[in-house]
Amino acid sequence: MIQLKNISKIYGKDGGQHVKALDNANITIEKGEFVAVIGASGSGKSTMMNILGMLDRPTSGEYFLESKEISTLTDDELAKIRNKKIGFVFQKFHLLPRTTAIENVELPLIYSDRKEIRKLAVDALAKVGLSNRGKHLTNELSGGQQQRVAIARALVNEPEVILGDEPTGNLDSKSGLEVVGVFQELNRSGKTIILITHSNEVAQHANRVIRIHDGKITEDYKVEKPLDAKAELAELKKTIN
Amino acid sequence: MNKYKIIESSFRILRRNKLNTFFMILGIVIGIAALSLTFSLGKSAEKQITQKVKKLFSDNNILITSGRVELGSGRSSESSYANLKIDDIEAIMNEIPGITLYDVFQTTPERDVIAGNKNISTAINGGTAEGEIVMRRSVTSGEYFTKAEEKSSARVALIGTKIAKKLFEESDPAGAQIRIGQVPFIVKGVLEDRGIDPHGTDLDMNVIVPITTLINRLMNVNYIAGAKVEVEDASKTEEIAGKITSLLRERHSLNNNETNDFSLVTPVIVKEIIAKMNRVFTLFLPMISGIALLVGGVVIVVIMLMSVSRRVNEIGLRKALGARSKDIMFQFLAEASVISLFGGIIGLTLGLTGAWMFMSSKGLIFFIPWETIFIGVLFPVIIGIMAGILPARKAAKMDPIEALS
Repeated sequence: MIQLKNISKIYGKDGGQHVKALDNANITIEKGEFVAVIGASGSGKSTMMNILGMLDRPTSGEYFLESKEISTLTDDELAKIRNKKIGFVFQKFHLLPRTTAIENVELPLIYSDRKEIRKLAVDALAKVGLSNRGKHLTNELSGGQQQRVAIARALVNEPEVILGDEPTGNLDSKSGLEVVGVFQELNRSGKTIILITHSNEVAQHANRVIRIHDGKITEDYKVEKPLDAKAELAELKKTIN
Repeated sequence: MNKYKIIESSFRILRRNKLNTFFMILGIVIGIAALSLTFSLGKSAEKQITQKVKKLFSDNNILITSGRVELGSGRSSESSYANLKIDDIEAIMNEIPGITLYDVFQTTPERDVIAGNKNISTAINGGTAEGEIVMRRSVTSGEYFTKAEEKSSARVALIGTKIAKKLFEESDPAGAQIRIGQVPFIVKGVLEDRGIDPHGTDLDMNVIVPITTLINRLMNVNYIAGAKVEVEDASKTEEIAGKITSLLRERHSLNNNETNDFSLVTPVIVKEIIAKMNRVFTLFLPMISGIALLVGGVVIVVIMLMSVSRRVNEIGLRKALGARSKDIMFQFLAEASVISLFGGIIGLTLGLTGAWMFMSSKGLIFFIPWETIFIGVLFPVIIGIMAGILPARKAAKMDPIEALS
C-alpha cells in the first residue's frame, strides 16, 4: 500500500552544511499492518513521519501510495490525499483551543466533500469512548482524553492509514497504554497503523518494528508476540488496587 | 471544502477572541458611523437646499443683475452697477416676445421704520406689482400694491411678519400709517412667512415698496439692482436669455471687445451652483469621514496579522488535515468580512440615529438615502476583504511542518 524507494532527504542551504536526515530509505508497508518506526531523537524519524504523511517532499526517491507515485503531485493534490487517506495523531495533540471536542473532530470533514458532518463526528467520538464529552471544550479534558479526541479526528474521514507521531509522548503510562490500546483495536478492525516513537516498549505493541539510525534503516523485523495494551491496563489496575 | 462550516467557525473563533474582535469591530463601527452620519446629513442638506432654491427660482426664471457678477465671488469691483435702468427691463418686456412677468429690485441700506413710538431698523426693498407672482410671495392680510400705485410712486408698503409683530404686536397693520426715515407710508399688507434665505437674510424682516417709490422718494437714484423675469415656455428660457443679453449690450452701446456690464442667472447656472454646493455635502464631507474607515481597515490588518502569528499551530494543523492554501485564505477573509459586516451594521445604525437626532433637533426633515445600504453593507465587506488579504496570504503560505513543530 505504501512503498518508499531510495528516499533521501537532505537539509541545508547551498554551500552550507548539509544534513542527510534520510539516506536511501526503502520501506514497503502492506495494508492492515501495524508498524512502529523507532529511533532516538535526531535519527531522522521525524523526517520519516513528515514524508510518510506527505507534509514534506523527499530530496530524491519515489513514494508510491496504492501504486501511485505522489512526489510529483501539487501541494493542493497532496492536501486532498492527506485529507482522504491519512489520519494524523500528534504528540502535542494539536487540538483547537477554546473549541469543543466535536468541532475538533469535524475539522477534516470541513475540507472534504462529505455530507452529514456532525453525525460522522459523533460516530468517531463514540469509537474512542468519548460520546459524553462532545460538547466539552478541549482544555476541559484530560491529556488522555485530548489524545483520544485527536484519534477520533484522525478516524473521522475513514482514512486507509493512521499516522501517529509520538502519540504517547505527552501522556502518563496509563493514558499512554489506553491510546496504544485504541491503535491496536483500530488495527484489528483493518486500519493500517504507522507509529513513530522513541520508546522500545511502545514499539513492542506493533506487529513490525523499523529502526532508524542516522537516517538509515538499520533494523526491520516482525514482532512475534506483540504486547496487548488492554491486558496490560487490566494488570495495572490490579496492582493499584 | 464546506464553506458554510468555515464561515460558521469564523463566527465561533471571533466570539471566543472577544478583545481582538471588539477592537476590530470598533474601528469599523467608528468609520461607518462617521461616514453614514455625514453622508445622510449631506443628502438631507442637498434635498433641502434644492427644494428652497426651486421655490425661489423656477425653470422659467431669468435673473438680471447690474454689474458683472462672478459666480461664487460676488460683484466684480471694477464694473459699475449703476447702469441697469427700469427702462432696460421695460424694453426687454416690449421687444422680446415670450416673457410674461417681471419684477425689479433695489435695496436701501438700513432705515428706521417707525409706527407710533415703536421703531425697527431694516433694509427697504423695491419691487413691481407682479412681484407677488414672480417672487412667489403674497400677503396674508391686506393686499399687494397695484400697478397704478407702482406707476405713481405711491407711498405704500408691504411688511414682513417680524416687522408687523414688532411695530403692531397683535393688531392688524393693514391700513396703518408708518414712517420710513422721514417719509410717511401706508401699510397695504403683511407678507407671507419665508424664514431665512440661503444667504442668511431674514426674509420676514422685509419691507417692500413699489420700485418707483423706492428710487424716487427714498434713494433718489435712477438705476436698479436687478430684475427677474418669467418666461412663458420654460424650454425657451436659455434662448430668451441670449436675446436679453444682445438687447442689453445694444442698449448699453457695448463694443464686441467689451465685457457685459450686467449678468444673467438662468436655470442652467443655478443648477451648476447647486451641484457645486452638493459636492461639498455629499462628496467631500463623506470623503473626510472615509479616512476614519481606512483607519478601521488598518486596525483589522494589524490585529489579524497578530492573530495569524498566534494561530500558526492551527493553520499548520488545518493544512495537515487537508486544507488547501485557498481554503486557509477563505477562512481568514471570511473572518475579516464577518467582523466588518458586523461593524458596518452597528456603525450604520449609530450614524443614522445620530443624523436623525441632529436633524430633528434642528427641525429639519430626516430621511435615509438609499446609498447608505452600500455604505453600511458593501463598503465594510470590501474593506474587510482588502484588510484580510495580507494576513490571509501570510497564513495561506505557511508550511505545515514548521507550523506543527
